[in-house]
Amino acid sequence: MLVIKNLHVSVFDTPILKGLDLEVKAGEVHAIMGPNGSGKSTLSNVIAGRDGYEVTEGSIEYMGNDLTELEADERACEGIFLAFQYPVEIPGVSNMAMLKAAINSKRKYHGEDEISAGDFLKLIREKADLVEMKQEFLKRSVNEGFSGGEKKRNEILQMAMLEPKLALLDETDSGLDIDALKVVSQGVNALRSPDRAMVLVTHYQRLLDYIVPDFVHVLANGRIVKSGDKSLALELEEKGYGWIDGLQKAG
Amino acid sequence: MIAADQTQSWIDGHSVLANAPAWLNKQRTDALTQFETLGLPGVRDEQWRYTNLRALKSTAYQLAERSALNTELPATNGTRLVIVDGYVDLEASSIDNIDVTLGSLSDMLGNTEVQAAFGTTLPVKQHGFMSLNTAYADDGYVLIIAPKLVLKDHIEVVFVNQASETVSHTRNLIIAGAHSQCTVVERHISAADNPTHLSNVITEIVTADNAHVDHYKIQQLGDAAFHIGGVFVNHASHAHVKSHNIALGGRIARNDVHCNLLGQGAHIEMNGLVVGSGAQHVDNHTQVNHLVPHCTSDEFYKTILDDQSRSVFRGRIVVAQDAQQTNADQQNNNLLLSPQAEADCKPQLEIYADDVKCSHGATVGQLDPKSIFYLKSRGISDEQAHTLLTFAFANEVIERVQVESIRTELTQLIAGELLSGLADLV
Repeated sequence: MLVIKNLHVSVFDTPILKGLDLEVKAGEVHAIMGPNGSGKSTLSNVIAGRDGYEVTEGSIEYMGNDLTELEADERACEGIFLAFQYPVEIPGVSNMAMLKAAINSKRKYHGEDEISAGDFLKLIREKADLVEMKQEFLKRSVNEGFSGGEKKRNEILQMAMLEPKLALLDETDSGLDIDALKVVSQGVNALRSPDRAMVLVTHYQRLLDYIVPDFVHVLANGRIVKSGDKSLALELEEKGYGWIDGLQKAG
Repeated sequence: MIAADQTQSWIDGHSVLANAPAWLNKQRTDALTQFETLGLPGVRDEQWRYTNLRALKSTAYQLAERSALNTELPATNGTRLVIVDGYVDLEASSIDNIDVTLGSLSDMLGNTEVQAAFGTTLPVKQHGFMSLNTAYADDGYVLIIAPKLVLKDHIEVVFVNQASETVSHTRNLIIAGAHSQCTVVERHISAADNPTHLSNVITEIVTADNAHVDHYKIQQLGDAAFHIGGVFVNHASHAHVKSHNIALGGRIARNDVHCNLLGQGAHIEMNGLVVGSGAQHVDNHTQVNHLVPHCTSDEFYKTILDDQSRSVFRGRIVVAQDAQQTNADQQNNNLLLSPQAEADCKPQLEIYADDVKCSHGATVGQLDPKSIFYLKSRGISDEQAHTLLTFAFANEVIERVQVESIRTELTQLIAGELLSGLADLV
């Protein structure tokens, strides 16, 4: 589904990713771990198509096509979803209004009719239950006045509504207490499916107790320096990120 | 004919109303004397320094005359009064379906309530157009709501600017009895041929104890029209007035909303929305006079400017020495959609009491790139993301609109089809 080869990315002319390789197939869940400043968020942002992230070398292929040619909204319509580390507050637009606009954009992109009001309401109620979000939150402005946990649950709700092929979860666990983490993880696990891939970007191993990955990659200094299964996360937790420096030097 | 930039020529056109009562003719001649001193405003006047009236002054205006409506208005089932170039057109109005005193000022000059209220709300310090309004206005609407009368449906007053190269001076008066409740929607439009018309319209609102008045002014004039307006309010004890000032049209439009909080427990809410584009220039000047204790004022003005349009917001709050326990808030946010647009903003707080809560905030900015990316990452196109965020900006004011049809109309105006059918969701 996603094939990244020798990816180099600069932000404001500063190189952040320096030759990253990653392959993600449908149905797989990958965790990307790494210390602050290693390029984790850059990776998710560049896949989602954020402005200001310049690919200077290498390639990102998604479903067999060059992803870098597409605008952020086209990527979303093609099935890529980014759950933000810091979801944006948009006072004045309700969650429902934004989601309806998003769903209809995607439908229009694929030459489909707009969703009916009835179907939309049915869908959003069903998905809101998934992340234990009260109905009143749906009418509230996007993320405005939401707690950290509510914002992250809202990201998962949006993901559930938009049914992406490839979901990128950027530090979805950071700042969550254990109850919120459980709710978010349940939501994510419910969305695992054989034709959906997920990439979890995280600083902490704790998330992976709840969302168990198929693969774990360690990102350091703009490159993936070690890959393995879920036991790698535990090893990393035990030995600390200092261990990575050693790996790099050895590599 | 009146050359707009010469004070004397405005005065020469003046004649005392033959059939007007003495009390009114006195006010008119006094206003004219005042105008002789004031003249028309110019950029040297502090209140007009960001407003160049050259385009307005380049036309020689004749005084508009009474004429029949020549423009088709959308059908209505409700109560509607039509005013054409400053004169009530009863033929075009439908006002028989309501049991209130609603009609033409010129027909009601003998009414003692009208006489008692007329001119009492006007600011001490006026600009030339206000004096001209008092001096020249022949007609306008009068609405008298009896004590305890509660009107569920709104009353619509449509002002049509029709004759080109003319000026109309219109004077309106709302007298709200004790414990009464009403909603008035003023709509200012240009005839289909987009005349170069200058309208100078003042609405006075005089409230008795505990009266509730929701006043809407929707200015959607053509881009060749000039508009000078004023909404002036006197609050009795516990009176609640909401002023919704929505400026969408006109080449140059200035509106003053002033209120005098004269009775304890009175509340004013001032909401404003400006949507400017092209070469439009829109001014809003507000003033709240907290004169007695325990009054509250809540002011929320938003401006959206595209192309080379400009806006001015001046919000003055005066808290007199006796007005303890005042709670006053003022917010003015400006969104610039184009690098050529300009918003000038001037909050002014003058506080003479020592036990009050006053806050104000002003911002000028553009759409947030982070928000645009957030929406795009959900599949929403760049253009739609801009529309949605512009709507979001405006919606905080639109949400304060109580009349559903106006809310829908404004949503449609800013968000187009994007949010159609979402009235309940946004």
